[in-house]
Amino acid sequence: MKREIVLKVNGESYQVYVSPEKMLLDVIREDLQLTGTKKGCEAGECGACTVLMDGRPVNSCMVLAFDAVGREIVTIEGVGGLEGLHPIQEALVEHGAVQCGYCTPGIVMTAKALLDSDPNPTEEEVRKALAGNLCRCTGYVKIVEAVMDVSKQISESPELREKLSQSQEFGAKTVGR
Amino acid sequence: MQNFNYLEPGSLWEAVGILEGLEGKAFPLAGGTDLVRTFKRIGFREHGVINLKKIPELSGVKFDGQVMSIGALSTVSELLANSEVDEHFPVLAQAARALGTPQIRNLATIGGNLCTSSPASDLAPALLAYQAKIIITGPNGEREVAVNEFFKGPGQNVLDRGEILTRIDLNLPVPGTIGAFLKHGVRKSHEIALVNTAVLIIPVRGSDKIAVARIALGAVGPTPFRAWQAEEQLAGAEGGLPQFEEAAKIAQELASPIDDVRASADYRKHMAGVLVKRALFQAWGGKV
Ligand SMILES: Cc1cc2nc3c(=O)[nH]c(=O)nc-3n(C[C@H](O)[C@H](O)[C@H](O)COP(=O)(O)OP(=O)(O)OC[C@H]3O[C@@H](n4cnc5c(N)ncnc54)[C@H](O)[C@@H]3O)c2cc1C
Ligand code: FES
Ligand code: FES
Repeated sequence: MKREIVLKVNGESYQVYVSPEKMLLDVIREDLQLTGTKKGCEAGECGACTVLMDGRPVNSCMVLAFDAVGREIVTIEGVGGLEGLHPIQEALVEHGAVQCGYCTPGIVMTAKALLDSDPNPTEEEVRKALAGNLCRCTGYVKIVEAVMDVSKQISESPELREKLSQSQEFGAKTVGR
Repeated sequence: MQNFNYLEPGSLWEAVGILEGLEGKAFPLAGGTDLVRTFKRIGFREHGVINLKKIPELSGVKFDGQVMSIGALSTVSELLANSEVDEHFPVLAQAARALGTPQIRNLATIGGNLCTSSPASDLAPALLAYQAKIIITGPNGEREVAVNEFFKGPGQNVLDRGEILTRIDLNLPVPGTIGAFLKHGVRKSHEIALVNTAVLIIPVRGSDKIAVARIALGAVGPTPFRAWQAEEQLAGAEGGLPQFEEAAKIAQELASPIDDVRASADYRKHMAGVLVKRALFQAWGGKV
């Protein structure tokens, strides 16, 4: 039976009327029409559906929407925004780390969670952090280079560090429906 | 029950009551990484979940200097972020690091890992080596089961009607205990084990002798198990490669893996021996 729930996504509260078997992924894409989050394997394997839940990357295809009530959800629409791309997105473009682009939103979310918690990871740590995001096109090398590059930019620029620490809220505000 | 039912009890007793009443229809929901996948396969209709996340007793990791109590809902990531787990139970931390992907580790719970009772569980061998106690609450109150008595077969365990796994207790190992966890798969990460092993060795103080060894294996039998005969072989023995090879041979003979598309039974059995030998040697301070 359908019920009304409130989900907090990108800083905004959304009232939705959904069945209890509906996955967070499907509510995000269909009910909220935020289609940046991609649907791949629907089995927790590929990472295309990655969103942040209370700051941590999770597979939204494995989470019941009802179970996400009360959590802070951030999707790709909550990253960057009208003021421009997030530095991770910029770096992925710069490094040619986007081909078909299907994995990219998931990669951005995972990389953001990594750099938010550890702005200075080793290459090995970047690879481990991205182990749950499959990419069929790029071979990963450029993706890893891009993330390492952002890390370098952060360590060299206090302004960027400042901007990124604010951007968690900034992204949330600039999302549209 | 026609539709999929979603319930969210706020107390353990309420959850036990609901679970007892809906046995076989509604299942406890922890991280959902196994349960949701199962529902996607068999269909949601006619079933339901009892979400455990509103039950306060099931969360949190506590350490009183002697016993570490791990709430069933603790996620694999929470275990990894806990410095006391890393310091006092490093083999469990190593096993946690080997489980799934970052996204899965943020959802997957230790209680769910045990209750799924997959023979290939990564946490089970470590918990077997630490001789964990499993605390269960059900209609008749609380009971305790040693982890080596918890598993009954692939997907099967001792949980009875209405019972919920509430926490896992680990006793602080004797000072000087060393150990290792190793997982063998086809790929480096994001892989269900073809075989995994956790070993602990308590050396005799100030000597090259082994007082006690514990060896647990996963994915090479209907349940994860302790290789008792291999452990006995090492008790009182000198530590070293020849002894470890001997013990590994015994452990390997205890393995009864399956054949499937990912690997043959012969290969799994062979690798069980190789992995046990490596784990013992690595724990002992050697390099392989
Ligand atoms: C992509 C992917 C990769 C994976 N990789 C690994 C891996 O490398 N190693 C590994 O070991 N596992 C792996 N798994 C399996 C799974 O993630 C783990 O077994 C996980 O720990 C299950 O925990 P959960 O909280 O998600 O359980 P759930 O799915 O919520 O529950 C699992 C089962 O246990 C029951 N249950 C849960 N909690 C309780 C409780 N407290 N009391 C009673 N019953 C309970 C549920 O009813 C259900 O039957 C993987 C899964 C996926 C999807
Ligand atoms: S769609 Fe969720 S992990 Fe593939
Ligand atoms: S760019 Fe195509 S899947 Fe990654």
